[in-house]
Amino acid sequence: MLSRMAGILKANDAFDLAATFHDADTAYGQSSVFRPTLFLINVDEPEAVEMIPRFIKSYPQAQVLGLMGQWKSSVADAMLSAGACGCILKPFHSADVFEALKIYKRRGKSLPTRTLALFSPKGHSGRTTLATVLAIELAKKSGESVGIIDADLQFGDVAMFFDAVPRHNVVEATHDINLLTPAALENYFHPVGNGVWIMSGPLQPEHAELVEANRLIEVVRMAGCLFRYVILDLPVGFNPISLALAECADTDILISMLNSGQEVRHMKRSLKMFHMWDAYGKRVYTMFSGVQNCTEDHKRKLEGELGRSVTLMLPEERRIKDVTGSGRLMKDLPDSSPYVEAVSEFAFALIGDRR
Amino acid sequence: MDATSSIIISVFSTSSGNGKTVTAINLAAGLAEEGYRTCLVDLDLQFGDVMGYLDMVSDFTIADAQRAILRNEEKFNVDDYLTEYKCGDTAFSVLPPPREINDAYLISVEAVEKIIGSMKGFNFVVLDLNAVFNTLNLAMLDMSTVINFVGVMDFLPAVKNYKVGYDTLLRFDYEESKICLVENKADSEQYIKARDVERLLGAKIYHHLPSDPQAITYSIRMGKPLMYCVPLSPLTQSYWELVGRYTNRTKKSPTASLPANEKKGPKKLLSWLLGEDDWLTAQNMK
Repeated sequence: MLSRMAGILKANDAFDLAATFHDADTAYGQSSVFRPTLFLINVDEPEAVEMIPRFIKSYPQAQVLGLMGQWKSSVADAMLSAGACGCILKPFHSADVFEALKIYKRRGKSLPTRTLALFSPKGHSGRTTLATVLAIELAKKSGESVGIIDADLQFGDVAMFFDAVPRHNVVEATHDINLLTPAALENYFHPVGNGVWIMSGPLQPEHAELVEANRLIEVVRMAGCLFRYVILDLPVGFNPISLALAECADTDILISMLNSGQEVRHMKRSLKMFHMWDAYGKRVYTMFSGVQNCTEDHKRKLEGELGRSVTLMLPEERRIKDVTGSGRLMKDLPDSSPYVEAVSEFAFALIGDRR
Repeated sequence: MDATSSIIISVFSTSSGNGKTVTAINLAAGLAEEGYRTCLVDLDLQFGDVMGYLDMVSDFTIADAQRAILRNEEKFNVDDYLTEYKCGDTAFSVLPPPREINDAYLISVEAVEKIIGSMKGFNFVVLDLNAVFNTLNLAMLDMSTVINFVGVMDFLPAVKNYKVGYDTLLRFDYEESKICLVENKADSEQYIKARDVERLLGAKIYHHLPSDPQAITYSIRMGKPLMYCVPLSPLTQSYWELVGRYTNRTKKSPTASLPANEKKGPKKLLSWLLGEDDWLTAQNMK
């Protein structure tokens, strides 16, 4: 296998193969004489994964790509967390290497993926609006790429907010996930511009049944190799999909729209389910949308009723409803409005929040 | 009217916040006001709002009913698990959702089917469903005489979801005549017109409920159906008309169908006709 892969690299003029080694330890010790710019390391060996931080530290000018026989999300996550550029499957073509490096460059900083799950106890909560505006603001403020996965599998609206007609959707991605690599998964996302990609929900509600939670989690984890921020627009209420994704995310955002007066009660009931994850270091934020009176006094009142802090109070804005409803979100989202400013501030805090 | 088999009206939509619960409550109240024995079942098992909107508490929920019916179906009497909502001389029964979310997970479709099936003593059973196609909702839609399919047409994605929902119902072989398309928050000024929605769906909208957010807010705050706190609201009247369509009534207003001396008394009827304070509208309710 080693000589076969070496042959592929030698056959391409873009590569100048300096050396091959049978184990990562030897490569680490002997590579300095070659001034390498790229390491391809077999990460099927657990010891090699453990050595990645040392490679990154000792060869700061070099990029590191992991080679896997079969895709393992946990290894890919560990590689990204250690500062590597990700992983590709072996045997590979030279184009796969270029593609992986291109994706990594576009992804953003050499930092682990932030996965944010947006949950609402009931619908009509402004969840999709927050997911999409937050994606735009995160991409704008960080210069990194953001992927939104529409996991509201029966009545997802993400594509419509961007007036997009994606070729593929989440059902196809979950079906194919065991055969995919990040580069292949990228085709299941639809670029909506300005560093934001979307994976839309299925076309028919009954297709939601075809999505298995564990496969969707694999899609989410692989999406982390493509995007620095992955935003999950969850289905309403608790069901196997929303629970699994909320558990898989590092940050859960609970949002409810103030309307009938029952929202605080719903939020308190929901928080009971999130409480355990909260205790394990997961970030859990609570937000209210449709707030007519966004004052500190009102916030304190809500916090008193809820028994925990409220991260954001989002005002109801006709303009935001107009641009989302008409599919002009990316084009016509106002730069400054109370809603956008509130989300932008939150995006800024997320970017600065090192997990 | 003696009941041998209930008429089941399910109130369904494809997105939350469309007014399902308000519709279910006001249908139940209207049916009860007409003299029909009515039961309202809150099947939004995780986050049901019926009890909150009616300012009610109860000792029993559908979770207790399920335990009882699974323990001994022969001895099960659904009346033991219902809570009565009473306003004046009118009353209807309510079967509340479980108190805890964990209990909601334990509710089985078969048990709910049996519980609803045991409500034969009621003339009407109104089901407040949640906005999703799941096994429970599909089983309830199967059992329903009428599907009151509510939609709000003020937002293009909502119209898309309404269309998707309607097409799905047809694809699942629900008869067109069983699906009553009900537009909520109908407003002639909105940029999406009802006739365009009808063209999109290829079906006529059965009933239009006008927008009156103030009346709804007041009704929730008072914990009463609209007809008992804002009877002059156009929305209240529209709900009354909708009830009339489901009962084949020809009379036009609630008071017209009630003997004045028996229900409200002549003074109150006069107040209502003159729009005095006893009868609140959305405008004078403050």
